[in-house]
Amino acid sequence: MSRGLGRRAFIRGLGVSAAMLPFVAGLPSVRGEERPRRKQRLVIVFSPNGIVPKTFWPDEEGANFTLKESLKPLAPFRDRSLILHGLCDKVKGDGDQHMRGIGCLLTGIELFPGNVLGGCSEHPAGWSRGLSIDQELKGFLQSQAETRTRFGSLEFGVMVAERADTWTRMVYEGPNKPLTPINDPYQMFSRLYGQARHKENLASVLDGLQQELRTVAAAVSVEDRRLLEEHAALVRQTENEIREMKANASVAPPPALPSGVKQQDAEMPQLSKMQIDLMVNSFVADFTRIATLQYNYSTSDAAMPWLNIAGRHHDISHCPDTDEEAQKNLTRIDQWYCEQVVYLARRLAETPEPGGGGSMLDNTLIVWTNELGQGNSHTHENIPFVLIGGGLDFRMGRSIKFPSLPHNRLLLSLAHGMGHRIERFGNPDYCGEGALPGLTG
Amino acid sequence: MTRRLCSLLSAVVVFSWATSVAHGDDKTGEQIYRERCVACHGPRGEGVAEGYPEPFTAGRSLVELTRLIAETMPSGAAEKCTGPDAERVAVYIKDTFLRAGEPAHAPRVELARLTVSQYRQAVAELLASLRGARRWDDRRGLLGSYNAIDDKGDGKHVFDRLDSEIKFDFGASSPQPERISPKTFAISWVGSVLAPQTGEYEFVVRSENSFRLYVSNRAQPLIDRWVQSGDGKEFRGTIQLLGGRAYPLTLHFTKAGQGVRKMDTPGAPIPPASVHLAWKLPGRLEETIPRENLSPVETPETLVVASNFPPDDRSTGFERGTTVTAEWERATTSAAIEVADYVRGRLRDFAAVPELNAEHASQVREFCARFVERAFRRPLTPEQRALYVDAPLASTPDLEAGVERVVLLALKSPRFLYRELGDADGFRTASRLAFVLWNAPPDAELLTAAAEGKLGNPEEVAAHAQRMLADPRFDTKLREFLLHWMKLDSPRGLTKDAAAFPDFNPTVEADLRTSLELFLAEVIRGQTADFRQLLISDGLYLNGRLARIYGVDLPAEAPFRKVSMDATNWAGLLSHPYLMASFADTTASSPIRRGVFLARGVLGRPLLPPPSAFTPLPPALHPDLTTRERVALQTDAAACRSCHNLINPLGFTLERYDAIGRLRSEDNRRPIDASGSYQPRSGEMARFTGARELANYLAASDEAHTAFVDKMFYYSVQQPIRAFGPQAHDELKRSFVEQGFDMRRLMAQIATLTALSPTIPPSNSASSITATKEQ
Repeated sequence: MSRGLGRRAFIRGLGVSAAMLPFVAGLPSVRGEERPRRKQRLVIVFSPNGIVPKTFWPDEEGANFTLKESLKPLAPFRDRSLILHGLCDKVKGDGDQHMRGIGCLLTGIELFPGNVLGGCSEHPAGWSRGLSIDQELKGFLQSQAETRTRFGSLEFGVMVAERADTWTRMVYEGPNKPLTPINDPYQMFSRLYGQARHKENLASVLDGLQQELRTVAAAVSVEDRRLLEEHAALVRQTENEIREMKANASVAPPPALPSGVKQQDAEMPQLSKMQIDLMVNSFVADFTRIATLQYNYSTSDAAMPWLNIAGRHHDISHCPDTDEEAQKNLTRIDQWYCEQVVYLARRLAETPEPGGGGSMLDNTLIVWTNELGQGNSHTHENIPFVLIGGGLDFRMGRSIKFPSLPHNRLLLSLAHGMGHRIERFGNPDYCGEGALPGLTG
Repeated sequence: MTRRLCSLLSAVVVFSWATSVAHGDDKTGEQIYRERCVACHGPRGEGVAEGYPEPFTAGRSLVELTRLIAETMPSGAAEKCTGPDAERVAVYIKDTFLRAGEPAHAPRVELARLTVSQYRQAVAELLASLRGARRWDDRRGLLGSYNAIDDKGDGKHVFDRLDSEIKFDFGASSPQPERISPKTFAISWVGSVLAPQTGEYEFVVRSENSFRLYVSNRAQPLIDRWVQSGDGKEFRGTIQLLGGRAYPLTLHFTKAGQGVRKMDTPGAPIPPASVHLAWKLPGRLEETIPRENLSPVETPETLVVASNFPPDDRSTGFERGTTVTAEWERATTSAAIEVADYVRGRLRDFAAVPELNAEHASQVREFCARFVERAFRRPLTPEQRALYVDAPLASTPDLEAGVERVVLLALKSPRFLYRELGDADGFRTASRLAFVLWNAPPDAELLTAAAEGKLGNPEEVAAHAQRMLADPRFDTKLREFLLHWMKLDSPRGLTKDAAAFPDFNPTVEADLRTSLELFLAEVIRGQTADFRQLLISDGLYLNGRLARIYGVDLPAEAPFRKVSMDATNWAGLLSHPYLMASFADTTASSPIRRGVFLARGVLGRPLLPPPSAFTPLPPALHPDLTTRERVALQTDAAACRSCHNLINPLGFTLERYDAIGRLRSEDNRRPIDASGSYQPRSGEMARFTGARELANYLAASDEAHTAFVDKMFYYSVQQPIRAFGPQAHDELKRSFVEQGFDMRRLMAQIATLTALSPTIPPSNSASSITATKEQ
């Protein structure tokens, strides 16, 4: 029976084996000593449907700026934030603004023509023509032993619609290869810590198994008994391996999750917190150094009852600037998303970097973004990019206003900041003179 | 290891001979045995895998044994041990290995764990059975549900029909223009697909429209083209499937777009629609999934274990599970975890409960008990239920974790992993039947019969065996056996000299394999499954491509069809071009490989491996010789002749087929000499020329019949035939002959006979085993 590549993919689909291999092979499950070079992590957070410019963007440039309503929660991290105005998604082609907004956001390249037809475009589109920057960086980190991690990247979702189309996918492994974010924190937990669960389960049944091997051996002939005795010796070996692994384990114990949280809009605050806690713990355990966290999806019609907002997000985002009530609600929504990003930043800031000085936020850059510059105009000008943390050696604590530069150049800056010196990413026409000026200086 | 032991022993022998034997050429029985018998019979007379695989048994008098040795031994060179030599070695064998008339190593049914393929089949059957297995019945094709879609995007069911295969080009029209608008419509095909062999399958869908294909896994599409993106029209997905099992298959097809609907532009042309569902079997070319592999019955979803197992021991020529290793132990852990994870993810479905909470805990517990019972292929005693179900569930407050522990313990248990544990009751009979006929565990009918005490006598067992022949797993097993018998079960690509055979390429090779498979399928599924047809049929399956190469007049694009060939030159497998090409070198035919297949495979003659590795003499070295002459030259040495006297004259009869199996009349510009001969173990030397005469001889040969019965027995039972009684072999061969050499009935007979045979009772010393002592 031949077992080729297809089988590997098949195993991956089951979500068990890659995680299980070190365990089953009896290798130590915990990484070795700390490496000299500092760890760098990148988290990209997405929230949908544009923002309200007048309550979002600081008026000032430079180090002295005032946070407006939508970004108020950022205050404790003001000095560790970088607010980038004037970056534009210049990618054109098939698909409507929402589709291209999310599909080209991290890929910087056009969508393929396809069969998904949007509200404001003539040309139906399919998936992106290229991979997203997080996956590019995953490939880069996984290619070197000192930066390689168990997962390479983790894709978290919060109430991303249960349908796969251009509006719901942001992360691409390659052309035509969208990755599905994991909405369910319990599923993510199982992916991260299933190994420990299996180990514990297995340990709990081995006594009973040895007992049975003795019972069965007593009932067969001497010749057959030899085989069962060999078998019993192998099971003892498994027992020893598990014992050793247990002794080595638990550098980063899994977080305690509340049980029974359902996948529904009203649970978003709870789901969001669970996903962030899981992400922080997976950083502590160094399971990955790249993560994405996608709230909802482009054109999301999430209801947000805990904000006392009656309508749905996408509907409200279409209201004109003159609709004061809508502008107020949209600001409140953006503020809530901002609070989530800040919760993540705070968790990272409060967690000491394992094996190194400082906090985990010192070695992590959070990039919070959106598929549109403004919901009612569907513009791709001034796409929001709010950066927090010290992961990429950018000079933080500033508000920067660029003169309408393509956002591909920021993607290049992220790559360079992570040590990956690529000259082009996505459509080369939008890579201009390369990485953005003035981020590090 | 064995080799070292042998040479050590012979060194000792030589030493003692040098010091104590006075007479010139007279060797002791032991010396003769060490020199000439040990390679096939083993240093302790226990038998050798590639020689004579069984231990010596008592039953012949010294006179009879002496005569047998003188006339037939060593195999292929009987003249080398006659007269006093034969007597001395007979005395030695009697005294050393058959003391007190009792075999030193009584053949017995050995404890064996599941082989890797049995393991995968067992898990697949276990999980399917817990979802209420549905039987593969006589209906073929997939059930198509055709739907119109109106301008608002709402679907309306219009009609259902059974479609034999999925290959439709609707163009700009619709499946039923008067009721379904060609603008947008949707079709769902539902049913199952039958995998005829184990391996990696590639499914291919061609369509310019949207579709999702689900195979086996109902939750995750194998190919998802619901969102169209980019140009492609052809999409592929691969999946591992086990032979003889049916898997749920669903293909959703729609012409509708996604996202926002637009008003139609009046007069806009209607875009085309088409859909084609094909597959590529391991080692074969792509084809439309044929009707006979599709069923409208939705079989339950199951799991093909993906964990990697180390390969089974094949040292005895067939796979068996008589060793355990650390790698295997780890694989059983990894596989058990894989299954536990699978069950956990579908637990509500398996246990048929809406929620996993305390309220439904008792249903979950009952599911666990069913799981363990099915895994063990027999009911649980109260003690076993306490150990396997109650204890793991009580060990954690988490119900799902408890179920995982039940699954882990059950699948790590010797009662799941080994086949011959437990009482000699109806359940053991059911297991033996199923593993022999299907290489898989018993189904619900067998277990019910066992529980009702209806598997107690040969008639009841035979009736079940008869029923089981209709299951696709039986066809798969018989097919796998035949390929194993021909040594074609793990094909490695054929390489042929490109200058000499410019027409031969991987496509032709895959075509030839298909041709062979079609022939085997025809014989296996025929009215009588007559073994002799494998040798004597004059039918050859050809398509246009093959016909051109093998000199038959067919249209270039012709699909496979059975062609009646010239009966003097074509005879079943013996002249099948896939075999002829496989048993050949890159430029020349190989009378040696062909002869070895005939001698060892068809006639069951044990052959020693050559004293060292030889490469065939290159034709260029002897430009004047034919292949036949070159082979004769190379094997002329005395050390070769003892076996090649047997091999070469058999292989020479197939000299009319070149290295890719084409019929030829000349070799090296000289007429072919296809004359050959065979000296059977008893009786006259047989002489024949060409494949037809050889085929007629073999089809009537008692030795060939005996060999076929033995090989099928070892392959399907994986135990020594004599462990099932001294008469087992003779009984099986007699009924094989009486029943017109029907291979299906032979396997059913093997299953019936072994299923009811008593197990040798446990004992504490080998010498007390007397159950199989010959009279």
